Amino acid sequence: MMKKKKLSIAEKEALTGVLFIFPYALGFLIFHALPFILSFVISMTDLRFISKISEVRFIFFDNFLEMFNDPYFWEAFSKSVQYTVIYVPLIMLLSLMLALMVNKKIYAKNAIKTMIFMPYISNIVAIAIVWGLLLDPIEGPINNLLMTLGMTNPPMWLMGAKTALPTVVIIAVWQGMGLQFITYLAALQGVPRELIEASQIDGANRWKSFIHVTLPMISPTTFFLTITSIISSLKNFSVVHALTEGGPGTSTRVLALNIVRETFASYRMGYASAQAIFVFVFILIITVIQWKGQRRFVSY
Amino acid sequence: MTEIRTNTNKWLVKTEKNKKGIVGKLILTAILLIIGILNIYPFLFMLSSSFKPLNQMFEYPIQLIPRTFILQNYKNLFLPEYYFTRWYANTLTMITLTVALKTFIVSMTAYAFARLRFKGRDIIFLVFLAAMMMPPDVTIIPKYVIFKFINITDTMWSLILPSTFDVFFVFMLRQFFITIPMSLSEAAIIDGCSHFKVFYKIILPLTKPAMITMTIFTFVWGWNDYMNPYIFISDTRKQMLTVGIKLFTTSMASDYTTQMAAATLVLIPVLILFLFAQKFFIEGITTSGVKG
Repeated sequence: MMKKKKLSIAEKEALTGVLFIFPYALGFLIFHALPFILSFVISMTDLRFISKISEVRFIFFDNFLEMFNDPYFWEAFSKSVQYTVIYVPLIMLLSLMLALMVNKKIYAKNAIKTMIFMPYISNIVAIAIVWGLLLDPIEGPINNLLMTLGMTNPPMWLMGAKTALPTVVIIAVWQGMGLQFITYLAALQGVPRELIEASQIDGANRWKSFIHVTLPMISPTTFFLTITSIISSLKNFSVVHALTEGGPGTSTRVLALNIVRETFASYRMGYASAQAIFVFVFILIITVIQWKGQRRFVSY
Repeated sequence: MTEIRTNTNKWLVKTEKNKKGIVGKLILTAILLIIGILNIYPFLFMLSSSFKPLNQMFEYPIQLIPRTFILQNYKNLFLPEYYFTRWYANTLTMITLTVALKTFIVSMTAYAFARLRFKGRDIIFLVFLAAMMMPPDVTIIPKYVIFKFINITDTMWSLILPSTFDVFFVFMLRQFFITIPMSLSEAAIIDGCSHFKVFYKIILPLTKPAMITMTIFTFVWGWNDYMNPYIFISDTRKQMLTVGIKLFTTSMASDYTTQMAAATLVLIPVLILFLFAQKFFIEGITTSGVKG
């Protein structure tokens, strides 16, 4: 009698569990799992228009072969790599420096934190409008300032073929820094004061105790932030599109923009999917390499 | 005597150190305030320009406090030829629906994973976890195909549904739910309480901070999302604010001050939310890492 009752409670629990996760599981399948699997399938087809989905042919790896011979793809790839190479060190260094400063004894800590964090929660298009104006080559206040300071040929910023990409990256760093900064700040607060004091009693100066105590203590955070910032810089559609739409010319057409262009301007969904898969595999490889390499410099 | 002397010496040294400390603190604060103000300068510029007549906007040196203070730029936004109000309403509706659906579905799922025993639970959870590694951008094209197929492109459901089945917050809420002692719900169950009742009467109230964090982030991400509405919604009248103001700026390229008013109105809700919920925001990030 007792046993039967207990069993029914457990059964009830199991039934409730299944009922509770059912809606989520269904939605997850349709909106996350299925698209992921389909992207591999589509990358091997010549899908163009969804209305002609019945005429789709399997062309297997032809998209990938074409991609490797496509100069536009390689150009976009190189833009993405350039973007990442500037973005990651810059954002890491700046946010660490700011976090180190704010972690000291200062007044108005909360106000300062808020000011540094604010761009992170701001709307990217609103930001693009404001920066577009500030950096206007002829009328913009920044170039006006540079000209009063005696510069005769101030940069074209977002409108120059050579300057557009670095300008986009700097704005992206400014916008994304808040999150990295807060994460670093939290990590720094986890470093025990006694450890730093002990190292200083042992004769280490500030720089030395930073290198030998603080830096190793926050290395898991650095590792985490490096991975996430590489990933986010390789799939940076919104910032770049809102600021330049890939222009001038193709000077800021990074991979994510190229994929969307192939999909909705050239209507080559199969081909665009192949590029998306490439990005995915590329990110995966970088992450795995970092994961393997972490033992060398991350101390837990 | 000597004792007294050394004591006063100590005291002197101490105040000197304090003074040095205060000066250092002041200097560092000043430096950081300057960096902070430079950091938000674009927003100050935006705000002040939105109240200026167009011909004063590019005056140099810049005057952050407008010489002539006008509201016309804001009035322009509500002219019937623009869809600004509509985009605003679309976005608010979309976010309200997302928050409602997501809070309900995600918290229920997390509850099941944290506090109910059933067959296959841990394996299913692992599959969901693995999905956190999937970059959402890779799936844009198949998503578009699926949405066309089930006929939800050009509706806000194409934005609401993918966000509702969020993987990250299932994971985060589960972590919170696990920390609540099991005995608390077991007693209620034995007394004949249903799991649903336990869930919303006992567990939910205890995890308010986590729920608030989820709501805030859902709001901010939804409000600022650019890529999804850009891709899944093509009807201008059904568009969201972010993509909307982008269209709006290209159609009235020279009216910079009106653009600044638009940009200001887009930022205000999130800023207010942020100022009120700053504590949860920053705690939410520091305790969970939050995705970039």
